[in-house]
Amino acid sequence: MNPVEFVREHAPFDLLPEEALALVQRGLEITFYPGGSKVLERSGPKSQHLYLIRKGGARLERDGQAILHLEEGEVFGYPSLLSQDAPAFDVVAEEDLLVYRWPREVFQKLMEYPAFAEFFTRGLAERLRISSRVEGLGVVNLDLALPVGELISRPPVLVPRASTVGEAARVMQTHQISSVLVEGEPLGILTDRDLRNRVLAAGKGPDTPVAEIMSAPVKTLPASTPLFEALSYMVRQGIHHLPLEQDGQIIGLITDTVLMRQQAKSPLYLLRRLERTRNPGDLTGYGKELTGVAESLLLGGLGASEIGRSVSSLNDQLVRTLLRLGEERLGAPPTPYAWIVFGSEGRMEQALLTDQDNALIYQEETPATAAYFEQLAAFVVEGLIQAGFPPCPGGYMATHWRKSLPEWEQLFRHWLETPKPQELLEAQIFFDFRAVYGELSLEPLERIVAGGADQGIFLAQLARASLQFRPPIGFFRQIREEDGGVDLKKGGIAPIVSLARVYALEARSLAKGTVERLQAAAREHKLSPEGAETLVEAFGFLMRLRLREQLASLRRGEPPGNKVPLENLSPLERRHLKEAFLQVREMQEAMSQRFHTDRLG
Amino acid sequence: MNLWPFAKSPAWDEVTYWALDLETSGLGPSDQILSVGMVPIRKGVIEFGAHYYSLVRPIRPEALSAEGIRAHHILPRELESAPSVEQVLDEVRLRMGHDVLLLHYSPVDLGFLKRYFRTLGRPRFKPVVVDTVVLLGRLGERQRQLEPHAKPVPTGLAAARAAFGLPGHLEHHALWDALATAELFLLLRHRLQARTLRQLV
Repeated sequence: MNPVEFVREHAPFDLLPEEALALVQRGLEITFYPGGSKVLERSGPKSQHLYLIRKGGARLERDGQAILHLEEGEVFGYPSLLSQDAPAFDVVAEEDLLVYRWPREVFQKLMEYPAFAEFFTRGLAERLRISSRVEGLGVVNLDLALPVGELISRPPVLVPRASTVGEAARVMQTHQISSVLVEGEPLGILTDRDLRNRVLAAGKGPDTPVAEIMSAPVKTLPASTPLFEALSYMVRQGIHHLPLEQDGQIIGLITDTVLMRQQAKSPLYLLRRLERTRNPGDLTGYGKELTGVAESLLLGGLGASEIGRSVSSLNDQLVRTLLRLGEERLGAPPTPYAWIVFGSEGRMEQALLTDQDNALIYQEETPATAAYFEQLAAFVVEGLIQAGFPPCPGGYMATHWRKSLPEWEQLFRHWLETPKPQELLEAQIFFDFRAVYGELSLEPLERIVAGGADQGIFLAQLARASLQFRPPIGFFRQIREEDGGVDLKKGGIAPIVSLARVYALEARSLAKGTVERLQAAAREHKLSPEGAETLVEAFGFLMRLRLREQLASLRRGEPPGNKVPLENLSPLERRHLKEAFLQVREMQEAMSQRFHTDRLG
Repeated sequence: MNLWPFAKSPAWDEVTYWALDLETSGLGPSDQILSVGMVPIRKGVIEFGAHYYSLVRPIRPEALSAEGIRAHHILPRELESAPSVEQVLDEVRLRMGHDVLLLHYSPVDLGFLKRYFRTLGRPRFKPVVVDTVVLLGRLGERQRQLEPHAKPVPTGLAAARAAFGLPGHLEHHALWDALATAELFLLLRHRLQARTLRQLV
């Protein structure tokens, strides 16, 4: 491979446009450093070059202690180059090092290209985000968290209330739209379906007054409603046109055809399918379709947390569908209840078929409750298995976990007041609980959880539980593989989730999502804003990487796991993985010191 | 050894080296130069941006085989519009001035250059030459004294680079071979702990 080809393949040079390559080539210098020699010296002369390792390895050192390993294709020397300060580290050639480099003047010219500059001028958090973009995939997909108002393409078309349906039909034809709003109070709507069903099929003529045919008052939602909620609303209401309001004004309208105009793997299709489900047998193959949805969302460039929210919302809908079907069969519940999910489902961080984590809470024990909820739980859990969700190996399912609210309160108080380490390791996922369906208010439970901040031992034990898994980083800060891969869950995802849980509880936040928890903790000054952002980005990076690998496994017909072989990663991804792990380790150490977990018996 | 025009013996990185490679139609006296690639080493650093690479319009195109040319990553029609050998060699000489010529196995390329300069009626071409094959031999000799049964150091350009852990390159292309020679030189200079030009020639 010639030098220019090599350079072009590596970040951030791959972000440069074609026109910049002449400059890259003109400014290229090649140097050799024998193993053991220093390329840059801490507190020594400022770096005058941007360096790219062509062959060999180097390490960043401070006081003889290795901080980071650099490999072929990685860049260094730029912090000092940008800040014009002395290097903060020694850069030592680990073995004979062949290095490409560009003088400062060339670097400055290249920095005029925004994408290239972005790579250097932003922090780790930003760099993680850049590297997790999926490039070159033109799949257009809707982010289900998007405010639905952003899909409006034109202002609403209105007809006077005194119009005839013939006049309204001509307005619809002129504007090529499938519905018009009817002026007046309350606001009405006339759709092409109405023209067919209520005019033609009813034997009425074009002179029929609009007011006689329209639906009024029209159902509307605020334009800021998340797309997914708007979709659920339309499906629930059985409407195909939804006017949106903002500041008391209708600003436009969305139709289901606009939303359905996506590829078949849209979450909408799955939602429709759930709405049509009449018995659990209809759910066969749901899991496979869900995987397809996750894949198309990933290819559409959505981040892991958006994908997690979309998929979790769909799964909530699945549970609601099953519970409604169950109630239809078993009759109305004898007492109000709530179906809760916890773990990744509770945090809305589910992206693929994961084990079920669910439980049932009912208001009070009555003679009828035991039999009713046993059957209801069995029906839903069976339906979930039918849909492709494997049972929880730990048995955390409503078939086992069914209690009255007072019993739950007692259990939560027990965890908070007399926490046993081993118990808490397992029980910590219960603190991610979220109600999916049911009339029962869980406010008493939430109040208990919010009081966890006052329970020093509980927080300390929870902090210790968050140190159960450590990032697989070796003595020389190299990523360790075991059994053919790096475990992203144990090494990074689980530690971040647990850290966020402790911080959020300490901040008395009832947020459930890891990202929201970290942000809440930062707002309450339990965590620095930089620390929170770094963990948020590291979390997003790890989640996305895992999702990508899991989808690839599924495509190969293998079961999705949590391990990724290092060789599947680009040098840049490897570096970011290492940085993410190092950040997790640092935050774990901070957590350990803060709660003196070493002093817990 | 005559190091003219250099003073007694400069430090190795005080002088400029031009790593150079010729692609030719063969090794005989009647064979022709097809392309020239060269890249300088100044203050111990390869300045790739200052490289020179050119194809050479053949004097006797009928004597060339398309296959032989293709082995050098050259297409016959590219040669038609290339500058003449006079132009190219003048460019080479202009760049080199009195700098050191760095070759991998100097007898062949140096022989071609000297003959061409003579035929073209140009002043005698007599640069100081450093040859990476010679350096490899010296390193091998030293190694044999330490470990008599060690595997000998290979002398082919690609094989020698691979033996020292340098990356692979596109072979038989004048520019990339010249660059490969320059990189190998930097490594060998260090291995031989040569501090002056004299220790390298």
